[in-house]
Amino acid sequence: MGLLGGLGADKYDRQYDDGYLIQRLATYFKPFKRRFSIIVVLVIVFASIGAVNPVIISSGVEALRDQNPDGTLQLILSGLLVFGVADFFVYLLRRRLTTRMIADVIAQLRKDTFNAAIERDLAFYDDNKSGKIVSRITNDTQELSQVLTISTDLVGQMTEFLIVFLVLITREWRLTLVLLGMMPLVFGLTLLFRKFARTATRQGSRSLAAVNDNIQESVTGISVAKNFRQEAMIYDEFDTVNRQSYTINLRRGFVLAMVFPALNALAGIVIGTLLYIGATFVIGRAIDIGSWYLFILGVDRFWFPVINLSSYWSQIQQGFSAVERIFALVDTENVLQQTDNKVPDEPMRGAIEFDDVVFEYKNGERVLDHFDLTIQPGESIAFVGHTGAGKSTIAKALTRFYEFQGGTIRVDGQDIRTLNLQAYRGRLGIVPQQPFLFSGTVMDNIRYARPDATDAEIREIAHSVGNGEWLETLPDGLQSDVGERGGRLSMGQRQLVSLLRVLVQKPTIFILDEATASIDPFTETQIQEALDLILSQSTSILIAHRLSTVRSADRIIVLANGKIIEQGNHDQLMAQGGHYAELYNTYFRHQSLSYIENAREMFAEAGD
Amino acid sequence: MASEFIARRSFKTDHSSPVRFVWSHIRRHPLFGITMIIGAFSNAALAAAVPYYIGLAFNAITEGNGLEVVTSMAFAIVGSQLLRAGLQLMRNFSAEIFAQRIERDVRDELYASLLGKSMSFHDMQPVGEIMARVTNDVREMNFMMNPGLNLIVGSGMFLIAPLIAAPRMYPDLIAAPLLFFIAYVIVQIRYLRRLNPVAQNVRASFGTMNASVAETIDGLQVVKGAAQEDRERSRFSKLVDELRDFVVEQGDIEAQYLPILLLGLVTFGGFLHVTSLYLNGLIPIGTVIAFTGQIALFGFPVFSSLFSYSQLSLGMASAARILSIITTETTLDQNSAGYSEPLKGKITFDHTDFGYTETGAQVLHDVTFTVEPGKTVAIVGQTGSGKSTLTKLINRTYDTDAGRVLVDDVDVRDWYMAALRSQISIIEQDIFLFSRTVADNIRFGKPEATQAEVEEAAKKAQAHDFIESFPEGYQTVIGQRGVTLSGGQRQRLALARAFVTNPPILVLDDSTSAIDSATEDRIQKAIWSAAKGRTTILITHRLSQIRWADHIVVLRQGRVVAQGKHEELLKTSDDYRRIFARYDAPEADESADEESVELNAK
Repeated sequence: MGLLGGLGADKYDRQYDDGYLIQRLATYFKPFKRRFSIIVVLVIVFASIGAVNPVIISSGVEALRDQNPDGTLQLILSGLLVFGVADFFVYLLRRRLTTRMIADVIAQLRKDTFNAAIERDLAFYDDNKSGKIVSRITNDTQELSQVLTISTDLVGQMTEFLIVFLVLITREWRLTLVLLGMMPLVFGLTLLFRKFARTATRQGSRSLAAVNDNIQESVTGISVAKNFRQEAMIYDEFDTVNRQSYTINLRRGFVLAMVFPALNALAGIVIGTLLYIGATFVIGRAIDIGSWYLFILGVDRFWFPVINLSSYWSQIQQGFSAVERIFALVDTENVLQQTDNKVPDEPMRGAIEFDDVVFEYKNGERVLDHFDLTIQPGESIAFVGHTGAGKSTIAKALTRFYEFQGGTIRVDGQDIRTLNLQAYRGRLGIVPQQPFLFSGTVMDNIRYARPDATDAEIREIAHSVGNGEWLETLPDGLQSDVGERGGRLSMGQRQLVSLLRVLVQKPTIFILDEATASIDPFTETQIQEALDLILSQSTSILIAHRLSTVRSADRIIVLANGKIIEQGNHDQLMAQGGHYAELYNTYFRHQSLSYIENAREMFAEAGD
Repeated sequence: MASEFIARRSFKTDHSSPVRFVWSHIRRHPLFGITMIIGAFSNAALAAAVPYYIGLAFNAITEGNGLEVVTSMAFAIVGSQLLRAGLQLMRNFSAEIFAQRIERDVRDELYASLLGKSMSFHDMQPVGEIMARVTNDVREMNFMMNPGLNLIVGSGMFLIAPLIAAPRMYPDLIAAPLLFFIAYVIVQIRYLRRLNPVAQNVRASFGTMNASVAETIDGLQVVKGAAQEDRERSRFSKLVDELRDFVVEQGDIEAQYLPILLLGLVTFGGFLHVTSLYLNGLIPIGTVIAFTGQIALFGFPVFSSLFSYSQLSLGMASAARILSIITTETTLDQNSAGYSEPLKGKITFDHTDFGYTETGAQVLHDVTFTVEPGKTVAIVGQTGSGKSTLTKLINRTYDTDAGRVLVDDVDVRDWYMAALRSQISIIEQDIFLFSRTVADNIRFGKPEATQAEVEEAAKKAQAHDFIESFPEGYQTVIGQRGVTLSGGQRQRLALARAFVTNPPILVLDDSTSAIDSATEDRIQKAIWSAAKGRTTILITHRLSQIRWADHIVVLRQGRVVAQGKHEELLKTSDDYRRIFARYDAPEADESADEESVELNAK
């Protein structure tokens, strides 16, 4: 629970002081003012009942000694019954209300954190692992909920402590001081143990992590181990780390195992002392026997709150850091800012204009350098170039996933910085390099960008590619479950679904960051068919890795260092024998027929 | 039970039910179990001694006996509590050893059983799922023992101690503790029965929410790109509210914690009883105090069980999940008495049918073909057509449902599994390299291979040059300090790994993307050299390899729809022709340019 995850601070983390955190958290409780005040009353009532119990019993003992004058005993007995029953009902009510309030607060906080996470721009996720963000939304809020529950209990116990203290000090202040004097000792002892325990725990978690890493690796690579029959070897390795973790975690357990015995021994000493001093007071007629008994009973009431406070101390601190992490995520500002909120003109034509665009990474490295380009509506452009030439950056800037630093990008003459992002992106059909599918059916995924599309429409589009032959390999056709992140589909099928998603959407502008993964030749043929369909409908930006894609574009643009160095169609550029020809030789030659036909001769001499 | 691997281990456990499973682990450590129980009992007894001594001190004072008795009682309390602390320490240490050993042993047992499972099991089981069993569930079993069971045993003794102590003060006094004890047990059982299913809902609902957030955040680019933020928001909102409702339901059950009421009643009833005895002159005042102190001991089980029983039920649920993995049947066994000869390399599929039992669907239908020793076969077909599955029947990763697979004319089921597998090398699509040095990865299948052998294999696989380019060369640890390998490099390392064992049969599930032609050249070279002198089965997307294989098998939906040489297939198979079709017209008149480009490049 945040123990292993929260080790290193993230870049966007901020320091808030505890006062501010409490204040801000308090705003979440505002809607529950009434509930909150009732809970406060109930906590006090519950604490009072707890505190009154020893007082009643000790008075009962006193009354007994006096042989029950004027029915005090009856009163005390009925008091015990009433409070005993009330205790249960007050607890019940308090617990019900607290559970609801905390659950509601946490739900709201979760929603706010999720909203914040979904609003962050993509640059944020480049710097921060998504797993850690997820943990803030789910685990940190969970931790906070536990701390809030513990806190109500602690507040109750503290109140009880306070009431008992007030009763005791009015009876006999010197005895109270004896009792009170022990408290720092208890508190200090518990904290000391926690300090030892923390070191031991850190070592324990580390060795456990080593075991888990070992298992994760061998389970992931189990097929290799089996193919080579090396199970015994990896078992021995596991055995070593498993034993090591046992030894280290045992040591940690021993440290923790000492806490309660030590506290019990201390409690024994305190009770013995009070018994003796109390007796001298009774003999000296300073207190009556009931009070003497009350002090001894009071030890428990003093003991538990202090032990609890000190043992939950670190958890409360962790709660604070959890809240801090949550608010840090909520408060992070996006780098990307829109200047206006205009809805793009309908129908969009898809004319794109890059005007003196400058795009730099955070470290100042310039990827697009005063880049100018005009794309006609319906035109398809393939961008080629070496890695780092700025191909993907064009898509990053155009989709507004990332902020550019200079110049203007206009779509149909409108500055894309002034547009409503959701409305604008709704007109873009984007296929990322790693196609991402959501768990659900193939049909759900194809429909993703246009939830109102009918089943018939989806079916038609799915069958427009290769006569829907690709669906035959799926167990339930369009209704097949794609699994988590599309894991049950092959890479090629995922790409195909991604493309169909765009076909359903009928975007004005199509942006394809082509995957580099290799795909079986049959599926690839179908992908090509889907692609052709989209190209005929939209203005297209193709970041191309396949020869066939490059060749299907109206215009090929060769990029180097963020500038256009050549453009034209395939044949023209090949004829020039310049940069494109060199790129062709580097990236595309092996995809050509001549390569395929000559492969055997080329490598006939290979392998001695 | 059939297993592919059996660890040498000294103990056996009972797998017939989760309770028996846990018990068979507990039973292995009788000494610590006994000291735990002795410690728990003496802890309760010595805790019960405190009110007893206090009562005696009160008797002494009320009878005017002066301080001597009180002094000795005070020392008795201190002494008894120090002794109690000592015994408690012993008990806690025992509980700790107990719990840690169980964690260690259960993990060991689970891990060994994982190694013994067939690949069909592992293919069906996501790694994340297994890791959850191995990490969280094994831990939960530890916590179930300590603090869970330790607290239950410990607090249980606090229920029993007053039952023994009270009648010794005065026989009638057993009434209140006994009634409480009976009522407590009944109420507690009912409470847990109500709580368990709801607590499970809470955990499941939290898991769903967590998975959903993770998915949205991972796919955020798609969410934003498709402008579907609002939909994701409302989806998440629904899950959060669902979880909230379960949490409230659980809270409501926890709120109705009847043992608190019982504690109030027993405090009242016990006091009523003891005072009436006192007023009738049957017991001294000290007994009132001692007895009241006994009743107060019930507070510990009442409040600790809120926590300890849920720990127990979590632990049992974990034990059940772990056990369900351990007991999953795998059908393959080693057949150690089987055929075990050097392999020549002939492979025959004879009317083979196969389906992964879990999904029920048949993946391969009536597959029949033969590969002669030393030949190269390319298997082509769409993803999902059964290509990879086909190759997994050769080394008995799976067994056929009908028909046979023969290697050197011997049914693979008649082979000794170790002999068969060690002579067949399969390079899978997702190449897995271990987090150890490059050299150790290459010699993985033959740990005794020398550095010279390793380097020779790397050279043949076209991997030597890039390995040498790492600062630490062959000693570079994979996956550390930013050493990331491209798909092509991983594939060549896997080839080198296969070369070290020099297998007569090599299966290459080759689908690595290679976007530059130079890498492609090297991979081609490595594969051609791999294919030399052994039977090679290629599942490949590379048209050049398909084009030049000795034999091509075209699969479609698990059936062989065509087989033969390239030229034959172009004539006989529509499916086959389709993939080469798009190369026909445009490329043909261009090959002249390409020739010149290649010349330019050289």
